[in-house]
Amino acid sequence: MAPTIELDGLEVQLGGRTILRSLTGVLDGRAIGLLGPNGAGKSTLINTILGFHTPSEGSVRVLGLDSRRDGKALRALVGYMPETDAFIAKMSGVRFVQYMAELSGLPTDQAMERAHEAFVYVGLGEARYRMVGTYSLGMKQLTKLAQAIAHGLRLLILDEPTNGLDPPARKRLLELICEIREASDICLLLSSHLLRDVEETCDQVLILRDGRIASICNLAEERRTKRKFLEMETCGAEPVFASALQGLGCECALFGNGRMKVVLPDAVEIRDVYKVAAERGVQIRRMNQRRDSLEDIFLNAMEQSGGSNGRI
Amino acid sequence: MAVYKRRYRPYHGPLTPERSRFLVLTRYAFAGLFRSRVFVLLFVLALVPTLFFAAYIFLANNSAVQQFLQFHVAGGFAVENKFFFTLTMIQTQLAFLLNCWVCPTLVAGDLVNGALPLFLSRPFSRPEYVLGKCAVIALLLSVVTWVPGLILFSLQAGLAEGGWTWSHLWMVVPIVCCSAVWISMLSLISLAVSAWVKLRIVATGVIFCAFLVPAGLGAIFNTILGTYWGSLLNFSELFRLILVKGFRLESELVGRAGLPQVPLFAAWIMMILVCVLSLYILDARLQAREVVRG
Repeated sequence: MAPTIELDGLEVQLGGRTILRSLTGVLDGRAIGLLGPNGAGKSTLINTILGFHTPSEGSVRVLGLDSRRDGKALRALVGYMPETDAFIAKMSGVRFVQYMAELSGLPTDQAMERAHEAFVYVGLGEARYRMVGTYSLGMKQLTKLAQAIAHGLRLLILDEPTNGLDPPARKRLLELICEIREASDICLLLSSHLLRDVEETCDQVLILRDGRIASICNLAEERRTKRKFLEMETCGAEPVFASALQGLGCECALFGNGRMKVVLPDAVEIRDVYKVAAERGVQIRRMNQRRDSLEDIFLNAMEQSGGSNGRI
Repeated sequence: MAVYKRRYRPYHGPLTPERSRFLVLTRYAFAGLFRSRVFVLLFVLALVPTLFFAAYIFLANNSAVQQFLQFHVAGGFAVENKFFFTLTMIQTQLAFLLNCWVCPTLVAGDLVNGALPLFLSRPFSRPEYVLGKCAVIALLLSVVTWVPGLILFSLQAGLAEGGWTWSHLWMVVPIVCCSAVWISMLSLISLAVSAWVKLRIVATGVIFCAFLVPAGLGAIFNTILGTYWGSLLNFSELFRLILVKGFRLESELVGRAGLPQVPLFAAWIMMILVCVLSLYILDARLQAREVVRG
């Protein structure tokens, strides 16, 4: 089976500026997160996949189809939820989705049925006969999702889907996205500047910075293999304790007043730390264990790719 | 899937042919237009002159009615090329008014709220989008221009005697072709303006201005410099020139002020240039994503 997205030296120039620079990589996850600071090229990559921008060099293949050569065939397999407002104000919600479904090739009666289903599915069943222009921001987002899933898609592209949503609406939208991912063989490409959105929905992440790939990582694998951190407050002989932990292969950082941060290698378990503390007569008054979060992965990628800040 | 079954599944059913998919745009546009009372009123009004022309043909071919109504026209009632020229001229001007109302509603509604990326993220291209919208205008304005022309021609052919049909059959070509030229130019200019301006009411105003302001400037140019080349900016006048040639009304070629008019080839070149410029604007404005230069 072809990978979800293959980037082969992809370069895109817009308005005389190079936005994407020699992107090369294979993304084969079912749910791919697209991360990067503002201006990193996330939306440009999505637009290039959809054929809105033509690569100046290289190519991007989606589900085995070249974006330039097989544009129409590719777009037939894609459902797209854009970041910005995209609707026809003087059309009822269900008719708007039916219209879009018909443009994707569904016969009229099927399109109407699918439009109703999609509207009920996203939770807007009661509002489907209202004009889209009268919808709230959250309802418009859900309408965009409904039009993106009404046809026979294989890849759902979501560009900042939770933008402007309140927490309950955001939670509901993310649940829907996860349901769609679980209930079918649809792949996801989710671009977001909210790391939590990506963390909750994706299993692979492409991090862009200044139009280059900063990192491609498999989130599930990263979570499994990444080192464990311990944040502790201790009382007693901290330097002795720290050197004993270093003897086990841990990395320690002391911050005074008994506060220390320890990075555990895979072979060392928490109980080993307790054991060393007991042997050295050190009290552990507070211990907080955490693994590398997506934020750490993101910040590492930003630093490794030469940036000093990881602001997004 | 029944509505109560909330589990998502993608569509796997049959698809419509790609080649005719642009007609979805046309169908939805017509459905939207005929929901507007203003449009229906304009559309009906645009067909009213045809009824008067039909009545004229009936009268011209019915001496009994003429005697009954005691109509006496010097030279008799003539249904010749001048008649169809006048009909086409009036109907094309009404088509212009109808177009000013219709065209902005077709494009501006899609552009003002950014719906275009949704169209173009489907197996649907920009030329198909333009084709779908142009088809609306072409069908609509055809019903107002050359279709009534052909119906009246058929009416006259049916009522007239003495081989009128065969001697006047050549008029079918200018009725259809000249109307087609006007419709093409109107639709391209109006779509380009609508795509550029995006706001419906403003677009209607700008379409009016796109025809009237250059015509006024051309007239001023002609008056000041004592030339006729300013008429190149008057699209209605250019169309009239083509129509006059098409209907073989050479006597009409002399302008109202007795000045000579622009050569026919210049009129054609100007109209083609305007169409090319409109296509260029459409190409630039109908983008899924705008690119900021610099």
